[in-house]
Amino acid sequence: MERRSRLQLSRLPDITAMKQQQLPAYQLHFSATMVFSIFFASGVFCLFMGIFLILSAKSIQKVEINYTKTCGNCAKLREDAFNHNKICTCSIPFVLAKSMEGNVFMYYKLYGFYQNLYRYILSRSNSQLLSKDLKAVEDCAPFKVSHKEIPFAPCGAIANSMFNDTIILSYNLNSSIHIQVPMLKTGITWWTDKYVKFKNPGANNLTDKFAGTTKPPYWPKPIYELDPDDPENNGFLNDDFIVWMRTAAFPTFKKLYRRLHRIHYFIEGLPAGNYSFNITYNFPVTKFQGEKSVVLSTLTWSGGSSLFLGLAYTVTGAMTWLASFAMLAIHFMLKQRKASTSKWQSKALKGQSRK
Amino acid sequence: NNTIKTSKYNAFNFLPLNLFEQFQRLANAYFLILLFLQLIPQISSLPWYTTVIPLVVVLSITGVKDAIDDMKRHQNDNQVNNRSVLRLVKGRMEEDKWMNVQVGDIIKLENDQPVTVSTLGCGFFLVAWVGTRDSDSASAAVLVKQAITCTSDMKDNLDLLSAFDGEVSCELPNNKLHRFTGILSYKGKDYFLDHDKLLLRGCVIRNTDWCYGLVIYTGPDTKLMQNSGKYTFKQTHVDRLMNILVLWIFLFLIVMCLMLAIGHGIWENKIGYYFQIFLPWENYVSSSFVSSLFIFWSYFIVLNTMVPISLYVSVELIRLGNSYYINWDQKMFYAPKNTPAQARTTTLNEELGQVKYVFSDKTGTLTQNIMIFHKCSINGTLYGDVIDKTGEKVAVSEKDKIDFAYNKLADPKFSFYDKTLVEAVTKGDPWVHLFFLSLSLCHTVMSEEKVEGELVYQAQSPDEGALVTAARNFGFVFRSRTSETITVVEMGETRVYQLLAILDFNNVRKRMSVIVRTPENRVMLFCKGADTIICELLHPACISLCDVTLEHLDDFASEGLRTLMVAYRELDNKFFRTWSVKHGEACLSLDNREKKLSIVYEEVEKDLMLLGATAIEDKLQDGVPETVMTLSKAKIKIWVLTGDKQETAVNIAYSCNIFEDEMDEVFTVKGKDSETVRQELRKARSKMKPDSLLDSDPVNIFLAKKHKALFTMPEEVPNGSYGLVINGYSLAHALEGDVELELLRVACMCKGVICCRMTPLQKAQVVELVKRYKKVVTLAIGDGANDVSMIKAAHIGVGISGQEGMQAMLNSDFAFSQFYYLQRLILVHGRWSYNRMCKFLSYFFYKNFAFTLVHFWYAFFNGFSAQTVYDNWFITCYNLIYTSLPVLGMSLFDQDVNDTWSLCFPELYEPGQLNLYFNKKEFMKCLIHGIYSSLVLFFIPMGAVYNSERSDGKEISDYQSFSLIVQTSLIWVVTTQIALKITYWTVISHFFIWGSLGIYFCLLFLLYSDGLCQMFPNVFQFPGVARNTLNQPQMWLSIVLIVVLCMLPVIGYQFLKPLFWPVSVDKILKRIHYCMKHPLPPPIRPRRRRPGLRRSAYAFSHQHGFGALITSGKTVKSKALKKNSFPAKK
Repeated sequence: MERRSRLQLSRLPDITAMKQQQLPAYQLHFSATMVFSIFFASGVFCLFMGIFLILSAKSIQKVEINYTKTCGNCAKLREDAFNHNKICTCSIPFVLAKSMEGNVFMYYKLYGFYQNLYRYILSRSNSQLLSKDLKAVEDCAPFKVSHKEIPFAPCGAIANSMFNDTIILSYNLNSSIHIQVPMLKTGITWWTDKYVKFKNPGANNLTDKFAGTTKPPYWPKPIYELDPDDPENNGFLNDDFIVWMRTAAFPTFKKLYRRLHRIHYFIEGLPAGNYSFNITYNFPVTKFQGEKSVVLSTLTWSGGSSLFLGLAYTVTGAMTWLASFAMLAIHFMLKQRKASTSKWQSKALKGQSRK
Repeated sequence: NNTIKTSKYNAFNFLPLNLFEQFQRLANAYFLILLFLQLIPQISSLPWYTTVIPLVVVLSITGVKDAIDDMKRHQNDNQVNNRSVLRLVKGRMEEDKWMNVQVGDIIKLENDQPVTVSTLGCGFFLVAWVGTRDSDSASAAVLVKQAITCTSDMKDNLDLLSAFDGEVSCELPNNKLHRFTGILSYKGKDYFLDHDKLLLRGCVIRNTDWCYGLVIYTGPDTKLMQNSGKYTFKQTHVDRLMNILVLWIFLFLIVMCLMLAIGHGIWENKIGYYFQIFLPWENYVSSSFVSSLFIFWSYFIVLNTMVPISLYVSVELIRLGNSYYINWDQKMFYAPKNTPAQARTTTLNEELGQVKYVFSDKTGTLTQNIMIFHKCSINGTLYGDVIDKTGEKVAVSEKDKIDFAYNKLADPKFSFYDKTLVEAVTKGDPWVHLFFLSLSLCHTVMSEEKVEGELVYQAQSPDEGALVTAARNFGFVFRSRTSETITVVEMGETRVYQLLAILDFNNVRKRMSVIVRTPENRVMLFCKGADTIICELLHPACISLCDVTLEHLDDFASEGLRTLMVAYRELDNKFFRTWSVKHGEACLSLDNREKKLSIVYEEVEKDLMLLGATAIEDKLQDGVPETVMTLSKAKIKIWVLTGDKQETAVNIAYSCNIFEDEMDEVFTVKGKDSETVRQELRKARSKMKPDSLLDSDPVNIFLAKKHKALFTMPEEVPNGSYGLVINGYSLAHALEGDVELELLRVACMCKGVICCRMTPLQKAQVVELVKRYKKVVTLAIGDGANDVSMIKAAHIGVGISGQEGMQAMLNSDFAFSQFYYLQRLILVHGRWSYNRMCKFLSYFFYKNFAFTLVHFWYAFFNGFSAQTVYDNWFITCYNLIYTSLPVLGMSLFDQDVNDTWSLCFPELYEPGQLNLYFNKKEFMKCLIHGIYSSLVLFFIPMGAVYNSERSDGKEISDYQSFSLIVQTSLIWVVTTQIALKITYWTVISHFFIWGSLGIYFCLLFLLYSDGLCQMFPNVFQFPGVARNTLNQPQMWLSIVLIVVLCMLPVIGYQFLKPLFWPVSVDKILKRIHYCMKHPLPPPIRPRRRRPGLRRSAYAFSHQHGFGALITSGKTVKSKALKKNSFPAKK
């Protein structure tokens, strides 16, 4: 009998919670209390966070010197491409009123330089930079090969436009003694860039390894002669080159150039006093209405000097609080009105019944 | 050849054909074009794989779905094609497959065998009558088919049959079920063939041991296949809306591209021109204008994700899932018939949540088409109620059923509860005996007795069957008949009555009579018919009895029972003989035969002696009144479209709550020409809404303005609750010209509408009428072939399955076996599907806007150079992997309230009808929300990294880190957004949501890993970004801020919306949430219906009975030849 009934119900759907849409579940429903607590809590959090961020951003010390105009003659010289062999230097003195304590970083900053153009970003050969194939230049338009059809190494618009000013910071103890502030040019790149993304074709004798390629058109020296002082810092593994190749997201950007070597006078950072930047001016910016400056800065836990996050948090927190109070007011007003109407209704009813 | 092919593909043509079909869809074609654009290097701004991978996935999902569907069709085809049949080959019957049958073959059909070709039942069959349980009639009744005489003489002589060399010329294959003309030329003579001679594909042979047939039409030529037609593709409102929105998005996209192209032109002119020292223009770019032309297309490619590629495939998957829920729903499984509900179309689910009009068939849909002998009044005594000692009616239970054990031939399924009637029978009350005797004689039922003592009645109308069965159980067993005799077992004693005449039923007479000679040689006339008719024919002597009986009839009527009066008359031999001659003459007369016959009939059908009245319950299906109530609470209007008579239809309308006694008025339209119909309709309208006849009425002004154009009829509110009854003849006029608008206005104001005596075509016309002028979703529900047209015409067709006829079910979109499942289908599944679809759509559009528009803002900072914000791999995976599962999970599992609540508060259904949850306004909200989110998503990270650096002084403001911050924030934002949208957090939702976030981070580390980059340095360009950026405070600080900024406004809006713009649903939802905390849902109190006084319908099928056939004598041979038939006694 049982078997028979089972046979008859052969098409009975499975009774599983899933198929019957009865999975146990938590019903999410925002009650008024929940909404207000979310609002007030996030308001408190944002305000607190914002003030904290502003305070830490304020602790940063920063010096920025724009040398586009200051080195005007050099800029003019560079506008003419035929003068590329002429060396132009320029010295910019400045006074550090307060000592910069801790680690000090030196950046160069470009204004209006579009490192984020679609064709610019594409114009590089990752295979070449990995030394997988030095002649792989297909992606590098418009700087693939020289007019003699020799591939550039490194090829592409990014590499070709590499920033090539030399900036030296000197500390002027008095009018006659100028001490060159010791700066480190290592440890300024991402570890992954230096050890994963970029590789030299070989450890030594780079000249031979790069045979069959030529230097990019705007470069004064080939890739294996970028740093005459440190043979390790040459080829694709040159730190300045790697930093440049990490293209910036916005047309105004800052790139790490050197960091302070904390020895001797500078063990605590940069002491207050007279300084000067000695700049070998090579990189033309006036042609495209760009500007450049050099920046000295200290850092905090949240990194750079931007006040934006702190301000955004503070404003958000404040707005949230305002909104929560407004909502609270609306909520209670409506509640009261409802109560009063129902009271009024009940009164009216009573009145009727009295009649 | 008889092969049926419903499948579309085979193994070879599947790929090209399916791809071709898929690319006919606009969205797929768009992405194909996009792909080609991407291959043009000058404008390509995204690598090819960002489009190809999603497109391939989308195409293959749809392809797999199509393949599975087609596989099922192949299986069905094979099953039908390989059924075996007996075919006459070279003088022998050979078993063969159905698909090998060809036109001109002679085949043998056996009892209960389905026919799959249109056979000319040119039947060399000897059996006198072939009943075909035709799928065509609503009542699944038996139709009589007869072979022409010249061929029926061949009997089953195979030699004769093989030698048969007749020639049939007939009309071309067509889809008219009730028409066939042809001519058989055989041995120099022409025989006329009509549809009575034709056995159609799809019918089943009954009561016939065998028959031979000549195959006329095969395969696709058969009437059934011609009728089923091509499946008309039904598109839902949401589909149409989606297409419009995609078009809007497309236009929006073009506008954006234009703006960006202009911006690019200006930028190139002002800055880019000078920046050429570092990035010279391509040689084909001569000016900034040319460059901006290219950029237009580049941005067209970058912003393509505005039109979401996976939208259509996701919608399909969601609908498929929600259809499976219908198939799986155990509460829609009908155990007695072992039939689960079936979603035959998987593309209409959300439309179920928007139904406003339900068109229902009556017989077999609202009613079970089971007639039950419920009560009777015999000689002034009422039987049928169980009354206790105090005289109160008692509710009956199954165990009170009377045991008919004393009668060996009783039907065990028959149930009756009043013991007094049995006592009267056993005591031998002569009136009661005569009453049942008349019931057992006066009918046209056929009996079949395959096993001794097990009688099976074949009745053309179930009413008759019920009456004869009642008589059988009380001891007057109709056992068999021949053309001249009726054998009745009277209280165990077999008596043979000589059948002298059958005065058959027709619509005008509304009665039928038989004249029999009893074994005692008395000539008796027994008559049954409508009370109004019989009363006038009664002998004056029984006026007082008539009054009592009429009182009883009123009682019956108030319970919604179908009634008949039964009377008899004893004729003296002489009178009968003279009448018989007249009758014979009238029968033979050629012209005006009908009229002459009825005059002759009237001569004998007078001075009748009243015996009593019967009351038959037209049994409603389970839960019909409750379902109708629930549906009308959900503001769904129910129209009954039936082929049945007005009286029965109205009766059923009352008993299933479509009409209520408290209604202000029920209008009946019965005009015979269009002017009268118009007047009647106007009169009704003036009562319902007097203002609407004035010229100043807004609807009239509206109609005057939009003359003859397609428009949407505005909703009108009547001043009370009304009903409308209209019959087929009047409807034909009402559907003409501009009367149809009048009809529509009146009908749509009524609470319930009954259309009776409808042809299948008219049913469809009514549905079309509402569809055309009202922008609402219509649903048609029916069980018979006559409902097919309406089922096909309506937005949603629902078939009641489990009855014999499969036609309706085969053409329906949803099928189940009980009417009351409709409320679950609509209010639970439909509502959920609609809510889910709306949530899905608004979220889906939002997530793509938020995703894509970021590129737009970035353009202002990168010289409009078509640089994307995100990594290419992120663009590829965003819709496909990172965000697909949570939204699918939501649209498959979310439920705002569970099924119990949805049924408790049918009012929750209203937003669907008004299309509140997703419309153009909601879409604009999504767009605005998307724009806001994209602004936050772009500018907060920008502010955070602009001129900023890491705490160790290294890079963070580079392009790749910025990408990572934006895309990670985006993932967090869309995920929290969907977490807010989900109201029903199941394990699966948790799994999908957290899983998606997990997958994002896993894939991130995989795609940005050192190994992949070193293998394919040009494809995976982001090595180490995840490692270097994900540990930075800027990153997480921006993500938190972005999430807060994106979520708080949404929560606030959700909180304030019901306060400022309350909708009726909000209140109910609030109540439900309150009730959920304090459990126990309020019990649904079924309202007791107070029976009102209505004159009920008489019970009769409106077709001609078998009378003519029985008396024609065709049955004689068969009965004599049938081996196991009951021996006829002369």
